[in-house]
Amino acid sequence: MGRTVLIVDDHPSFRASARMLLECEGFEVVGEAEDGAGALLAVQRLAPQVVLLDVQLPDIDGFEVAARLTANGDSPAIVLTSSRDVNDLGPLREREGVRGFIPKSELSGAALEALL
Amino acid sequence: MTSLRRALWALAAAGFVFGLAVVALIVTSDTPEYPAAWAAGGLAVGWSFIGVGLFAWGRRPDNRVGMLMTATGFAWLVAGCGLSDLPLVFTLGQGVGTLFFAVAVHLLLAFPSGQLESRADRCIVTGAYIVTAVAGLALWLFSDPRSLGCDDCPDNVLLVYDNETLVNAISTVINLIGAALITGVVVVLIRRWRRATPSQRRFLVPVYAAGIAVGIMLIATVALQVGGLDDPVLEAAWIAAMVPLGLVPYVFLGTLIRARMIQSRAVSELVARLSGTPRPGELRDALASALGDESLELAYWVPEQDRFVDAQGRPVELPEQGTGRAVTKVRREGSYVAAIVHDPVLDEQHGHVEAVCSAASLALENERLEAELRAKVEELRESRQRMLRVGLEERRRLERDLHDGAQQRLVSMALSMRLARARLRDQPEAAERLLDGASEELDAALDELRELARGIHPAVLSDRGLDTALEALAHRTPLPVDLESTPGRRLPEAVELAAYFVVSEALTNVVKYADATHATVNVASENGRVVVQVADDGVGGADPERGTGLRGLADRLAVLEGRLEIDSPPGRGTTVTARIPCG
Repeated sequence: MGRTVLIVDDHPSFRASARMLLECEGFEVVGEAEDGAGALLAVQRLAPQVVLLDVQLPDIDGFEVAARLTANGDSPAIVLTSSRDVNDLGPLREREGVRGFIPKSELSGAALEALL
Repeated sequence: MTSLRRALWALAAAGFVFGLAVVALIVTSDTPEYPAAWAAGGLAVGWSFIGVGLFAWGRRPDNRVGMLMTATGFAWLVAGCGLSDLPLVFTLGQGVGTLFFAVAVHLLLAFPSGQLESRADRCIVTGAYIVTAVAGLALWLFSDPRSLGCDDCPDNVLLVYDNETLVNAISTVINLIGAALITGVVVVLIRRWRRATPSQRRFLVPVYAAGIAVGIMLIATVALQVGGLDDPVLEAAWIAAMVPLGLVPYVFLGTLIRARMIQSRAVSELVARLSGTPRPGELRDALASALGDESLELAYWVPEQDRFVDAQGRPVELPEQGTGRAVTKVRREGSYVAAIVHDPVLDEQHGHVEAVCSAASLALENERLEAELRAKVEELRESRQRMLRVGLEERRRLERDLHDGAQQRLVSMALSMRLARARLRDQPEAAERLLDGASEELDAALDELRELARGIHPAVLSDRGLDTALEALAHRTPLPVDLESTPGRRLPEAVELAAYFVVSEALTNVVKYADATHATVNVASENGRVVVQVADDGVGGADPERGTGLRGLADRLAVLEGRLEIDSPPGRGTTVTARIPCG
């Protein structure tokens, strides 16, 4: 099996498409979360290797979720995603564990693999 | 002649006759050492109080000061009866004569308003009446004047049982209560002076003078009772104490006359001061000095906004009654001009505030016009800011809607397309399903974009007018909507747009929250304004503070000086009414 992935996004349609796309390209999607708090719990419970994390979430934003996940040191690889352009998000905080950013419309297994 | 006037003349006649009767009683009596001095002094004091009291009563029937002063005079004459040597008259005068002090204290504490303002005042006055009337009579049930050292005194007709110990005990109680009441009066008067404004102090001077005079009389009376009713020196002192007391009513009268003179001078000074063009703020200062109230504030009436504003045009709340400030509203030619917020004591100076107001009404009207202009500028500034805020909020909402709606659908479509492309050769059926899904997403995205575009500006409204746009709206709503009336003609674009959005937002809410079976829409143009009404038969209980939709509508309407009302009793449906001015 390929790497385990957790998808964090508040739009069900994106989660469904991303799951299909990634599974098709050899990743194992072990869970989905629709907000930041859910993401933190799911990471603890499922210990995925990769977290595909939407920047804009209804409760705490993706940057904050990434910061909390990487604060422990032993965190999964985090890849940020958004339907906005990367230039609209301001400087991405470079942190250990945050591997990079993929625009939602350009998401593919290959793009994800390239960042890991 | 009014009935009041007749009653006052009758009282004057009664006072006159009573006074003469008391003189006759005293002069023919063996009891006093100096009957002539007693009679003359007693008559002067009694008639002064009654005369001045009736005069003040006639001038200001609504103010109790005149009545109290008259009552003080009569009580004094009753006390004078105590010098008679006729047993019944003597007993009556001695028994209830001390009531004079209670009425005098009442007068002191009630001047100049005629009302006892505080609880402490009321307690003291009630206490004084009880001690002087009830306890005084009780005392006379047990005291024989002869055993108290007055050999010339006639019999006490009330005497039930002569007991010196009991009399001493009752006297001690009365004296203790009396001392407590006097202390109370002193404390109240000192407190009042401390709190008083300069114009209030003008009225307190005679109160203090009178208080001292009554105090001297009280000391003389107590001394006479303690020292023996027939000690010539104490009797002479008592007679001398009548002089300041007799002056009291004239001091009161003088204060009222002086206040009136000061008032008329103030009005003429004000007129002179306002004859030029007053500088900003000068009118307030001129009124403050004319009324002797530095704390005075002015507020100007703005009829269009239906409220009072300050000189800068900012809205002001006028103080309620009982907040320690009084309000006098100034009218000119039947409509409000201004409100003067002032010290309530000015209301006691009968007609003075009104006289000053009418002298200043033209100047006030001029300042009102300026304040009204400023208020309008202020209102404009506020509505411009509101408009800006509404605009910003709408743009934010638009961005959010685009992001959450069409953009997400397009993203998921892009992903499906990529997936389909990858499977095109190996799994053409799966690719087909993916393309079908993508196509559905595309349709949904188009729908959402259309809806959004309509939300930004409904094209049908500008092309074909409100009537058609409302029909389209009613048709699109997934609920039976009766379009009962529409204006039937084109209205200004901004008004049409606002009316359209009211109906649109209200119908959206009906569908989302009301659980209704149908809704009715009425849009009527009447008396230069458009009234939009959307009613449903749903669950009611809508809270305008809850959603941002209704608040946004209210703001949008406020820009057009329109108003939004929501009537939504629980269980009885919701009616949203918007009134939009339409020139």
